[in-house]
Amino acid sequence: MNAPIIDPLQGDFPEVIEEYLEHGVIKCVAFNHRGSLLAAGCADGSCVIWDFETRGIAKVLRDNDCAAAITSVSWSKYGHRLLVSAADKSLTLWDVSTGDKIARTTLQQTPLHARLNPGLSSPSLCLACPLSSAPMIVDFEIGCTTLLPVCVPEMPDVLAPPQRSKCAESGPPFSPAAACFNKCGDLVYVGNAKGEILIVDYKSVRVLALVPVSGGSAVKNIVFSRDGKYLLTNSHDRIIRIYENLLPAKDVLRSLEDLGKNVDGVDGVEKMKTVGSKCLTLFREFQDLVTKMHWKAPCFSGDGEWVVGGSACKGEHKIYIWDRAGHLVKILEGPKEALIDLAWHPVHPVIVSVSLTGLVYIWAKDYTENWSAFAPDFKELEENEEYVEREDEFDLMPETGKVKVSSVNEDEEVDIETVEKDAFSDSDMSVEELRYLPAEPIPDTNEEQDELKLIEARISASPASEEAVQNGHVTDLVSSPQGEMGETRGKRKRKPSEKAMELQAEKAKASKASGRTVREKSRAVGDQEIDESVNGGGDDDDDAYY
Amino acid sequence: MPSGGNGVGNGAGTSGGSQTFKPYRHLKTLEGHTAAISCVKYSNDGNLLASASLDKSMILWSATNYSLIHRYEGHSSGVSDLAWSSDSHYTCSASDDCTLRIWDARAPYECLKVLRGHTNFVFCVNFNPPSNLIVSGSFDETIRIWEVKTGRCVRVIKEAHSMPITSVHFNRDGSLIVSGSHDGSCKIWDAKEGTCLKTLIDDKSPAVSFAKFSPNGKFILVATLDSTLKLSNYASGKFIKVYTGHTNKVFCITSAFSVTNGKYIVSGSEDNCVYLWDLQHKTILQRLQGHTDAVISVTCHPLHNQIASSANHLDRTIRIWKQEDA
Repeated sequence: MNAPIIDPLQGDFPEVIEEYLEHGVIKCVAFNHRGSLLAAGCADGSCVIWDFETRGIAKVLRDNDCAAAITSVSWSKYGHRLLVSAADKSLTLWDVSTGDKIARTTLQQTPLHARLNPGLSSPSLCLACPLSSAPMIVDFEIGCTTLLPVCVPEMPDVLAPPQRSKCAESGPPFSPAAACFNKCGDLVYVGNAKGEILIVDYKSVRVLALVPVSGGSAVKNIVFSRDGKYLLTNSHDRIIRIYENLLPAKDVLRSLEDLGKNVDGVDGVEKMKTVGSKCLTLFREFQDLVTKMHWKAPCFSGDGEWVVGGSACKGEHKIYIWDRAGHLVKILEGPKEALIDLAWHPVHPVIVSVSLTGLVYIWAKDYTENWSAFAPDFKELEENEEYVEREDEFDLMPETGKVKVSSVNEDEEVDIETVEKDAFSDSDMSVEELRYLPAEPIPDTNEEQDELKLIEARISASPASEEAVQNGHVTDLVSSPQGEMGETRGKRKRKPSEKAMELQAEKAKASKASGRTVREKSRAVGDQEIDESVNGGGDDDDDAYY
Repeated sequence: MPSGGNGVGNGAGTSGGSQTFKPYRHLKTLEGHTAAISCVKYSNDGNLLASASLDKSMILWSATNYSLIHRYEGHSSGVSDLAWSSDSHYTCSASDDCTLRIWDARAPYECLKVLRGHTNFVFCVNFNPPSNLIVSGSFDETIRIWEVKTGRCVRVIKEAHSMPITSVHFNRDGSLIVSGSHDGSCKIWDAKEGTCLKTLIDDKSPAVSFAKFSPNGKFILVATLDSTLKLSNYASGKFIKVYTGHTNKVFCITSAFSVTNGKYIVSGSEDNCVYLWDLQHKTILQRLQGHTDAVISVTCHPLHNQIASSANHLDRTIRIWKQEDA
């Protein structure tokens, strides 16, 4: 990898908005396992998958039955399947490479959050958290839903009987609970309204352990880090807590059972608490003492080193980044559009945030070119070094010609073939991961060819128009809502008039209905716009440019 | 990985020249182009061979029986380079008419896209491993990255070099691009951001005529117009192997790694021969003779022990060489 030549002095978290993506009104986003694809759910019920490398649309999943806003998207472990939950109480499972619907089911309540089992390669089992009932396991193959226990009854030795029906447990009415799978997908961690984390074996529908969250306020989000070592809870008391997961990575169920057996003398709730204390320990707490804001969509970075939480107070778009030791390292401030969702790229220091207006902002590091990159023998120094000259440096000696002493052993064996094992591949390589959707070039039509030939002739004549035409992807945000971010591409400042024109043209087209066919058309028309702008023609939407 | 079918130990692990080198022999001569052939490349699946020529056309050949499958016409000027997509479905050609064209390698062999944007001859082109991006280098001294699906230019690296760019190549995971130029420099760029990460050589002369990454992406093979080929570990910036003996002072001759049976460096030469060096020992193992003009391009079959080479104006043929079996 390019690790050896990238400057290690740069911090590992994003700093500025690099770009934004647009496709209708986006509600939620999720990266696939490697971060090569970004899936996003729209307000019109369709789901769009971007190729994150090219920042172009790779696929649009559209279900004609579903026209309600998507509430969450979730990838399967190897990226073959996508689970989409929508406001019309439905859960749809899609096959990503073919774009076909695999299964669809309707629940009693709208699921706010739905996650596919991360342990299986072709999961048909998922965890859904509805707005006002207990989290449930939905099995698409068998076609049944299983409600998970949300609290441990006070009486000893009472295990919640397995329920295959959809009626609620007897007891107090439900307040929303948050839940997530553990890394290998055989346990569910439920955070309930009483401020407790329950570790549940969903196959037998039993609560195996209980961890009380200090403060006892309702848990709103519960999320594992990618490596499964840390657990994050976001509570109603506006504190984000990080727990260390003490359970082993494999054979978790057996370890838990063993722990349960080894606890003597206590029963019922006390037993659960004792077991619980061996599963999770509180590591850190984060809160903003000044403003005491509610956090939205908190999660870990890909390597688990950073914790990020979003804030949408007063309609602002702020992203807080802490390191795992608890220090606040950065507050990213976006345009004045409330933040509704957040995702950290699994591999790169990139954050994707969704605003209330439906735009997806991509935050990345501010890349400055390294001076040492420009000549082979330049080296970056942290501080000034005193130069000590050689003994014979200034001696008057006849030039014997520059002899470059080669300190390299030229006889060493060179290996051009072996590749190091990928840090991101798990040991189970039997299933091939879906990293990219094949890029099939969309054939040009004949009219486009002629239009573009005209542009081509013009471009070779005028020096100012060498810029790449980008569909709504504004890398220089001079004309975007907030002017502060315009400094990202200081080196590549374009003529503002030209950029504003292009933006206007693109915005006019992009504001029309989304969908793949229209996108193609808008690209063609977009090119036409440029053609006309270059040739001095006008358009009904815009005034003459020149 | 070496096919190993010949029962001869491969280079790694054996010290000294205990391995017997099996010479390559001429198998076939392919005719079809009416002008110098600038580039030949085998597809990644080993079923097809594509050749590009200054006669403005590109020819698709079968790599099993070397029959002509299709002749692609469309460019209005000579073609300097071509590249295959990883799935062997598409090829991209770079031409002096300032455009790149993406062609379908399956029937009906259409021209799918024309990529416009460069303002001078496009000299070199390559796909990235996921094949959703294409990188191209041009005489207009810029490097452009294109999105395959829509044909839009995703990034322009302006003032990449101060003279025509002769070679561009993505590394194994598509995160880096190496570029060589007539201005004598060889630079490594971050593919996502377009920033220069490292400069490997910065002498004004000799010109860098070719640069590419090794299969594992750790080394870069650089050819310079002083008849030298160098293998560099780019992380350290040091040149660890130097291959000489051939002649390369004028043309941008492509070289290749041969890894199917023993590790070799293969390159064309202006003395009308194809040279094969042992990767580790840098000795010339064989000089393939037969062409009647400078050999401009060579390519190694990904699975079998075959090499295809193509030559300049006076020759206009592609020659296929096959290694003898045990």
